Order: sequence, then structure tokens, then C-alpha cells
Amino acid sequence: MRVALFATCLGDRFFAEACADSVRLLRHLGVEPVVPETQTCCGQPAYNAGYATEARRMARHTLDVFEEAEHVVLPSGSCAGMLRTIYPKLLVGVDSDRARVLASRTWELSQFIVRVLGVESLGEGLFGRHVAYHHGCHALRELGVRDEPVKLLQGSGAEVVAWETDQECCGFGGLFSVKLPAVSAGMADRKLDTLPLVDWVTSADGGCLLQLAGRAERRGSSPRFRHLASVLWEATHPAPLEVP
Amino acid sequence: MGDARERILGRVRQALEHRDSVEHPGDFGAWRPDGALPADPVEAFTKLFTAAGGEVRHFDSEVAARTWLDGFASAFETVSLGVTVEGALRPERPEASPVSASLGISMARCAVAETGSLVLDARDGRRTQLLPPTHLVWVRAADVHATLTGALSAMKEDLPSGLGLHSGPSKSADIGQITVKGVHGPGRVIAAILS
Amino acid sequence: MSRTRPSEYKATAEGILRDHPEMRTAVTAATRTFNSHRVHGFGEVDAERWRDWMHQVKNHLLTHLDTYLEQAESNLVTHGARVHWAESAEDARTILADITKSHEVRRIVKGKSMLSEELELNTFLGEHGVQVRETDLGEYIIQLLDEPPSHIVGPAIHRSLEDCRELFGRELGTPPDASPEELAAAARRALREDFLKADLGISGGNFLAADTGTLALIENEGNIRLSTSVPRIHVAFVGIEKLLPRLEDLSAFLQLTTRAATGAPIGNYVSLLQGPRRNDEPHGPDELHVVLVDNGRTRLLADERAWEALRCVRCGACLNICPVYRQTGGHAYGWAYSGPIGAILAPAYLGLEEAMPLPFASSLCGACADVCPVRIPIPDLLVYWRERAVEAGLTGRTEAAGMRAYAAAAERPALFGAAKHLLRHLPWEMGGRALPVLGHWTDERTAPPPSRRSFSSLWKEGID
Repeated sequence: MRVALFATCLGDRFFAEACADSVRLLRHLGVEPVVPETQTCCGQPAYNAGYATEARRMARHTLDVFEEAEHVVLPSGSCAGMLRTIYPKLLVGVDSDRARVLASRTWELSQFIVRVLGVESLGEGLFGRHVAYHHGCHALRELGVRDEPVKLLQGSGAEVVAWETDQECCGFGGLFSVKLPAVSAGMADRKLDTLPLVDWVTSADGGCLLQLAGRAERRGSSPRFRHLASVLWEATHPAPLEVP
Repeated sequence: MGDARERILGRVRQALEHRDSVEHPGDFGAWRPDGALPADPVEAFTKLFTAAGGEVRHFDSEVAARTWLDGFASAFETVSLGVTVEGALRPERPEASPVSASLGISMARCAVAETGSLVLDARDGRRTQLLPPTHLVWVRAADVHATLTGALSAMKEDLPSGLGLHSGPSKSADIGQITVKGVHGPGRVIAAILS
Repeated sequence: MSRTRPSEYKATAEGILRDHPEMRTAVTAATRTFNSHRVHGFGEVDAERWRDWMHQVKNHLLTHLDTYLEQAESNLVTHGARVHWAESAEDARTILADITKSHEVRRIVKGKSMLSEELELNTFLGEHGVQVRETDLGEYIIQLLDEPPSHIVGPAIHRSLEDCRELFGRELGTPPDASPEELAAAARRALREDFLKADLGISGGNFLAADTGTLALIENEGNIRLSTSVPRIHVAFVGIEKLLPRLEDLSAFLQLTTRAATGAPIGNYVSLLQGPRRNDEPHGPDELHVVLVDNGRTRLLADERAWEALRCVRCGACLNICPVYRQTGGHAYGWAYSGPIGAILAPAYLGLEEAMPLPFASSLCGACADVCPVRIPIPDLLVYWRERAVEAGLTGRTEAAGMRAYAAAAERPALFGAAKHLLRHLPWEMGGRALPVLGHWTDERTAPPPSRRSFSSLWKEGID
């Protein structure tokens, strides 16, 4: 199986260890990923902000980088959503056809593990852990990824604690977070105000984690925020790690 | 005014010049999960109307209805009667205009089971249907349609200036999100079904 | 409270969040309640099938709109109604002024109508010495407070029970500890007089069935039935997009619109009106005027992408689920329609420049598209309007230049790598604030700590 990992621009910059954990996790599951060095950005920030031309340029580049892969896996729900649902309509003509093919081979990490590899339990490494799972909007609504991350967490012994606002938007929205910071913060506050007591808050989207963690820290409280890839890698351990 | 009409229609036609036409999908099926509503229209109507805060009574004869009516109406000082309410269903109480009567009595055109609605006809008299604080509505069991589509189809060839679908007492939640009854329309409404 | 404009959205939103945190609390509570009712209401039927059917009926209607408008007019006229055509808000107001003048109207009662807000009828009538009384309880409350509505279905959701007690005590003499029932009873008594003394009743129009010329009006209180039955004249303002092909089509729309708005199987009262009172009817208006209103709708219809927004049935479901809307309520949006639907109508009805930044007042979470009963692709249309704004140069040169530079770098991996290296080592807390656009991150959040080594470095070195 030729699997290419698209770390994403946020992942490369702010979640390098989580991307490394994605590699370790895939290897553990018998998949040797390649990481094309020419990968850059999927174009989502440009697309969402209305810059279709710029988004198309980045999409064409990404298409060139990844179209040889049998599967493209991303530790990011929103970037996976961009490739799967937006590329085919953003690009035109023959590029659109190429995009459709790429889309059919693109997966968010937990989605890949559950749907392609058919794995629902990774080990006992999360036994006794209480986690809150934040459903990023694009993973949830564009990709239809809702059960996969939760199955993997529960299948590895974690308790996914009920969180009233878990499917509500965190307020990141790319440039929205900096163009309307007060409203964005209000949306993060709603999530944080309803957060139950947990060991970790986790999500498949780095942007969401930066938003929630950054806001929580500014408010003075800070539950631990961890990327889903790192949590799932920890799940593969035969027993829970010592709490550091 | 003719000019504005022509300009608006002209702009509509221009806007649609290159728009692909979409066909009407045909009749609406009001699709529901099995067992969502009781199969018997009167039963379904009763369930929904009472859930909405209305009251429902059933009478299997006009005599029974009349007997109940005499007792019920005696509690009201004055009554306003709809034009089409038949003789036996009109109580012996002093009449007053809809503005001052404490009880309004109407004859429904029909009812709708799937929405729990009484259908009131302007020919019976709109003010009586709206102004008195308590509203009693007679409806024949045979006139309870299963679906709203069915009711509308049945009435289509004979439409008055106004039909009112009343599905419970008047309600509002505009005061601090707390539900109150009887804000403008009747706060108490009774559907009396005659089989 | 003065009415703002869309261009003031950011400042108004920030002001509300900073100075009126109770607004956010009230709106969040109300919209959560509405939404949970909608979930229940949708759950009782095969909502997906209903939505598909309604989506197609509205598209059929819109792609044959001229035919159906002519048919509706013809049937209304046959039933004795007068039909007027208003190209603009000004025309609509002029038509109303002519009617009030020629009929010596001095007092008007009004039911809730978003279109009447859009057309700014109340202010206009006030200027012409005609008394207008809002009869919907929520509208009545905000009329007394001189505020605009903050929500399509619940205009006063931003006002608490305490606010109402204070207001009614002042205006109607109710005791300070009056129960909601006592407050409602006081309003009922006061408004009853208004209904009976009014010369004319104004309504909007939820739907207009073309094949019978039937105007459908949905409500819960009964004030619309009264406003359209008691006064001698009834004037209905109907957006040209509100038509439906057949009387029977009303069935789905009356039911699912209500389920989407409040969860109930149907509105408590539905009026189906065909014309003025007939000879064999004891009560009803002597005249019915229907004003068909364009006011930007034909412009929207002509837009190849955004015309889909015309399917809107004004249920408010998108407002109730929008995480951005619930931070501020409707006032921040600065015009009649707020929330997601407001953001996609504004560029067509007000013009793109006047509508800014509303298409950007969204994180594109997509929740609205999940709930819309007529499947309007709201997030797609928000992105569409953003693209138009970028093309028109409305997003600012700094941002546009930055985006072009970013795209150029993203096509050149070596350059991108170098740029990433630079950005990762920017002292975010200090210099970050100076960074154009991105610097605003630290207004409300701590800066994200970049990874010590980039993933591409880790990969190059080998991951074990």
C-alpha cells in the first residue's frame, strides 16, 4: 500500500511531534508512509477567505505532489476535507478529473485507520484516561467523520466524556479567528465553559486545538490539549503511560 | 402601476433566460416513520390537539352533544354563535357580539389529523372564532381528514375569503421565553367531535 | 437603540460582547431551546425527504416565476383583491401611503413581518402621521422599547422577564412582580382596543399559492388572524419569491417551516386568504390589497449561484444553530435579516459593498446547511460572495497581497520552507502583534508555541 502523508502547513509548523506520531502509528499498523518533500499548503485558508485563484494555484501544486499515491493520509480533518470535497469543484477541466481521483484516495488519519485498515482498537494505552473529543466542523460535516475517532479512543480503553458542545464550532475558521477575534473568542468560550473535567481535550484538527488551547491559556485555565494523532499513538502502548 | 408590473416581470424573464428549468416533483407524500401517528384520523387529531393544549370531546349522538352543551354553556354569561352552527348545537344562553361574549361557538369546515387542526370558514364568522376568550368548535368525525394535503384538495373548489387553521389555544413565548396562553386568540379551545 | 449598518458589524459585535454580556447569554439560551424543538420536530417526520421535496418545489417555482406571478395575480383579482407591484422599498411605501390617504386611515395594526422591516414601513408611516401598533407580543415589546428585532421568529429574545416587567409596569401599569400571564393579559387588553379601532391591518406573506391566489400566514398568537379580519382594509406585503405553485403544495411548507422554527406540527394559527369579505360572510375586511415586492429579488434571481437563497422560508433555523449568531443576536448585523441567511441575501439586496463584512461574519462551520428545510447551500454561497468581494477589491490590499505571496510561496517548496522557518522564529507575543492581519490572534488568545523542530526536519533526520 503506497501511502503518502500530507502533514499540512499547520502540522509541520505547530504539530511536528503529532505528525511524527502519525508516522509511528501507521508503521505500527503495517503501513510505511512516504512524505513527499515538495508538499506545502492545501490552499484552504485562501479558499475560505474568497481567494479562489490563489487556492487553485495551491490545489494544482498539491495535486502534482500527491496524485501518484495510492492513499493520501492527513492528520487534519479540515485539510482532508479540502482535498476531498472542495478540490473537485475548485479545479476545472482535466484538473477537476484528476482532483476527483485524488479525492477518492484522501483520508483523515482516524478515518483511514478505521475505514481502510479496518482497525477499531489500537491497544490498551489509554485505559483509564478521560478525554473530551472536539469534532472539527470540516471533519464532521464535509468528511462525515464522527464515529471513527471516538471508536478508536474508546476501543483503546479511553472514556470519551460527554461534552454538551462537542459538535459546535470552536471559532477558528482560519482567517475568521483574526478578522473577528472577539466573536471567535466568544465561540471558544462557549466550548470551554461547558467542558467537563478530563485528562485531555483532543481533536483531529490542529487549528481547532490552537484556538481552544490559546483561549484557555488566556483565560487562565488550561486543560491539556493533545492532537488526536499523538493520543492514538499512545493508545498503541500495551499499558497506560505514567502521567508525566 | 402597469409599468412596474411589466418591469418586474421583464426582469424575472431576463434572469431566467439561461437558467435550467426544474420540474415540479409531484404530490407531497408527508412521509413519516411507521406508527408516527395513529392510523385513525380522529384519534390522531385528538392526540395532537390535546398535546398543543386544546381540549377534545367526543359525542356519538347529537342528543349526547346537546346534553353536554347545556351544562357546559351554563357557566358562561353570554355566547356568540357562528352563522353555520346548526340549531341543536346552539345553546339557550343570552347572545352577545363577539367583542363582549365570553364564549364563542363555531362550526368547523373540517379538521386535519396530521397537524391537529380545526379548519374554520369565514362564512361561519371570523370574529366569533377569535375574540371570545373561550372557543367551542363543533366538527363532524367524517370531516376529519388524515392529511393537510387531503383537506386542501377537498376544499379547493369552494374557498371562502378566509380559512383559519386553529391548532390549539393562542400561545406566545415572547415574555422571557416562558409560554403563556390566550394572548390574542382564545386561551381555551374545545374541539367537540360528532360521530 | 439606534439601528446600525452591516459595515459596523465588527464594532457592534465587539461592543455587545464587551458591554452587554447578558445578550449573549439570552440569545444562546433562546436559540438552543428553539433548536432542540426543531430537532424534535424534524425527528417526527422523514425530514430528509420533506426537505428534498421542498427544495425541488421551490426551484420549480423560481425557474417559472413569471408564469406563477401572473397566475397568482389573476386569481387574486378574480376573488376581488387589488394587486400592486412594488419595484423598490420606496415604491412599496408609496403604495401604502396612497392607500392610507385615499381611505383616510389613521390607525394601523400590524402582524410580524420581516418584509415590513426590510421595507422600513413603520418609520415611514410614523412620519406621515399614521399610528402603527405592532401586535405580535415580541414585536409589541420591542416597539415600546424602540429597538429592532433581534431574531426572525423571536424578535425579543434578547429581553428577559425582568425587562418585560419593568417595561409593562411603565407603559401599562402592571405591578413589579407581575407573572408572565398577568403581563400577557395586560398586553391583550391594550391591544384588543387597537384591533377594534384600527382602520387597516398590515401583514406580510409566508406563502402565496398561485393556482388559487391563496395567501398563507403563519402565527401562534392570533394577532395576524385579528389584524387581517377585524379592520376594514388589509394590506399584505409579499416578496415575489414567496409564491408556491399549488394550494396543495402549502401542506409541506406550512408543516416543515413550523417544525424548523418551533418544532410544532404547524403554526398555532394559519390564515388562508383568498380575497376580501364576500356577501355571505359576516366579518372580514372590505378590501384586500396584495403588494408584490421586488426590492432586489430579481437581481438575486439573476445571479447564477446566489439565486438559491430565494428558496428561504424565513423559519430562522439557521439563526438558531449558528455559533456566530448566538454570540451577539441579530442587532450586530445591521439590517432586517441577520445570521447566515442575512449574510447571503445582503450582497444582492443591499449591494456587495454595503453588505460587507457580513459574508465574512462566519467561520464556515456548515451547521446552517444541515438544518435548512429547503437545502440552501449557505456555506457555499458565503464563499461565493467572499470571492466576489475579493474580485471587487473589498478585502483590502494588505490581505490580498499577503495571500498572493502565500500562494506564490506554496508553489515553490524551497521558498515555502524558508518562509516557514522565518515565521516559526518570529517572536509571536511581541512582533506577532505587529504582524498585519495575523497579529490579531493575540487579542484574545495566547500565541501558539511553534514546534521546536519542523516535521519536515524530523522526517529528514528519520523518525523512530
